[in-house]
Amino acid sequence: MPDDLPPVVAPDLLDRQIAAMLAQDARLSFRKIAADLGVTEGTVRGRVKRLQAGGLLKLTPIVDMFRAGLADGGGQIMVFVTVTCASGRLDEVRDRLLDLPLVRALYDANAAHRLVAVCLLATVAEAAEVTNQILALDGIREAESEIVLQTVKYNAAIGPIATLEDFAPAATETARRSTAASSE
Amino acid sequence: MEHGLDMLDKALVAATGGDRPPRRTRGQALDAIDRRIIAALQRDGRAQSTAIGEELGLSGNLVANRIRAMDAAGLMRVVAVADYRVHGYRLLARIRLTVSGRSPREVAEELAARADVLSVHLTSGRFAVSCLHAFTTARDMIEAARDVSAGIRGVQDVDVELVNTVYRYSPSVGPLEA
Repeated sequence: MPDDLPPVVAPDLLDRQIAAMLAQDARLSFRKIAADLGVTEGTVRGRVKRLQAGGLLKLTPIVDMFRAGLADGGGQIMVFVTVTCASGRLDEVRDRLLDLPLVRALYDANAAHRLVAVCLLATVAEAAEVTNQILALDGIREAESEIVLQTVKYNAAIGPIATLEDFAPAATETARRSTAASSE
Repeated sequence: MEHGLDMLDKALVAATGGDRPPRRTRGQALDAIDRRIIAALQRDGRAQSTAIGEELGLSGNLVANRIRAMDAAGLMRVVAVADYRVHGYRLLARIRLTVSGRSPREVAEELAARADVLSVHLTSGRFAVSCLHAFTTARDMIEAARDVSAGIRGVQDVDVELVNTVYRYSPSVGPLEA
């Protein structure tokens, strides 16, 4: 069951209030948060530190997928690929899927056989190609892709992050690439 | 095959038109400096502009202005992502719905109004609506599924999948305002 909290003090109302204030702007000054919530700046700093140390809070830049240019991950299509694995092959298929950088999120669902991959792709043709690639993987019984036609709600401020060792591994490779390129 | 893809492209453009810039626009390009600032923010989202500037050989003012400009243009924002457990939730489930006799968009909006529904998408395929729902208990999950199937007009089938282990989650690119 996915309810194993990491070994930190259970978050309380103040933690939630601080997280909510940082949700819209993670660079908001701790002084302002402290003043609004009626606590000291040190308390805010300590709470944020504790949440971060427990992997429960990440302060991270998000590039808008509708406004940014293609080179920065903008204009992309979101596709959900649901994969049913052959019996006993889940770990193997999971590792192959994690090898694909365009898989931005991956989890297993229900019992043992199903993996759900959230992919970001530049074109519908690429989506077709990726589905073909995934279907061709060994150990897969079937794969179904659903193309996101419209996002009605997306709450970036809440996510399943606490149990992850590697948060945002594919984080703007373009940014990293351009940094590498300009320092060469 | 081509023909099918063209049709899908048209459907995508139609579905995303109106309240949002069309998917095909190139958007605003970030330049090399913006990208290096974003990379620095990925290492530390609260790094001071002056510290980022020193690291990149830029003035602190320039860094602060760039961050402000990207934010104002809705291109990039440094956000806090809290684990769902911080908000008291214990379970996540993907719920997919088939819809009939009603616009899926209306069904999606009804779902989106619930605070514990974290994201809602309209999708191609058998299920018209797909959402990520957070719960505090297993009983909550069962009740919510019943609620959705009986309480939202137009909903036909409800498919609930409990999220077990999350292997990757990288919200570094996403819709900032949906």
